[in-house]
Amino acid sequence: MINAEAEQGTLASRAGEIFDRYRAGERAAMGELVTLLTPILWHTVRAQRLDRESTEDVLQTTWLALVRHAGAISESRAVLQWLLVAARREAWRVLRGQQRQTPAEIDSDAVVTPDDELPEHVTLRDVDQQVLWSHVAALPERCRALLRVIAFADRPDYAELARALGMPVGSIGPTRGRCLAKLRASLTADARWELT
Amino acid sequence: MTASEVPAWETLADQPLDLLDALLLAEVAQMFDVLDPVPPQLAEQLRFAISLDALEYELAELVSDGGRLVGARTESASTVQTLTFSCETLTIMVNVGADGLGRKRVDGWLAPGSAARIELHQGSRIRRTVADGDGRFVFTGVDAGLGRFVVLPPDGQPGPAEGQAPVATTIVEI
Repeated sequence: MINAEAEQGTLASRAGEIFDRYRAGERAAMGELVTLLTPILWHTVRAQRLDRESTEDVLQTTWLALVRHAGAISESRAVLQWLLVAARREAWRVLRGQQRQTPAEIDSDAVVTPDDELPEHVTLRDVDQQVLWSHVAALPERCRALLRVIAFADRPDYAELARALGMPVGSIGPTRGRCLAKLRASLTADARWELT
Repeated sequence: MTASEVPAWETLADQPLDLLDALLLAEVAQMFDVLDPVPPQLAEQLRFAISLDALEYELAELVSDGGRLVGARTESASTVQTLTFSCETLTIMVNVGADGLGRKRVDGWLAPGSAARIELHQGSRIRRTVADGDGRFVFTGVDAGLGRFVVLPPDGQPGPAEGQAPVATTIVEI
């Protein structure tokens, strides 16, 4: 069933088809791939708590790396995973450099607040989104990062993307997994929340 | 559903994903789009960066700006500026003047003169025209602002023709 869904074109399979065309010599296809995947890659890197400007640099480095290593990717459908892994590694590299410059900061999940992953001045005018954010913010950081990324993909891709994000098998897909289950349980218990 | 009927998250975790999860995740995506939106020009900037890289372009540097400081805004609408870009294989000269309608007209020519496709990249906007057999080209109705010219082979090939790599100029104020 999941395979049938993939045939209809999930984010990963559509990316693979475009990447196939690029490797067959259609140079302009790489631009299509950028347009398709910039949102999910943006949120992948931002979830690492990298600032917005550095995130733009990381994404440029990531895409240039893909252009240079296009021949080394064995299966086209894996291009989205490849990009996710490459973007995360580059984000770590940049973060380590930034942390060397500010030794006062402690590199520990314990001191991370969800607001570190967002721009300085954030306003959610939508009340439902305020409620949703309060529950997402209460999740463990790794769960928050996972849901933030897979929210921009399609269900058959979830398990592969979770693996690319370094999450254990079973984090999400085909079952709900603990991150999404925690979010759903806490939202269901919140009288302010109603999903229609 | 009352609180007592809410299953523990451990139970929920082992169940297959359902439609409600899809709706919830769609709301999560929407929320992050509002909280931390992708910069509007980012995809275009990335496309431009890799299109040039993929094409293995040659960079034409600005060698003369007619005495104007590079990057300085031209306040006078009547001024005509001549910009000259050069690389090993090509020289690109452009005259930028007011069109009388609040915008710019760009007259350019390539040396050595030959037919080519010419693009003017300004932020997310790409204007396209062709240079004639003598290498002359014109852009009209151009907005003032930062931009760069890209010279591509004339035959419509996406990749470089033999011995004719695409040329991109440095970014200048137009």
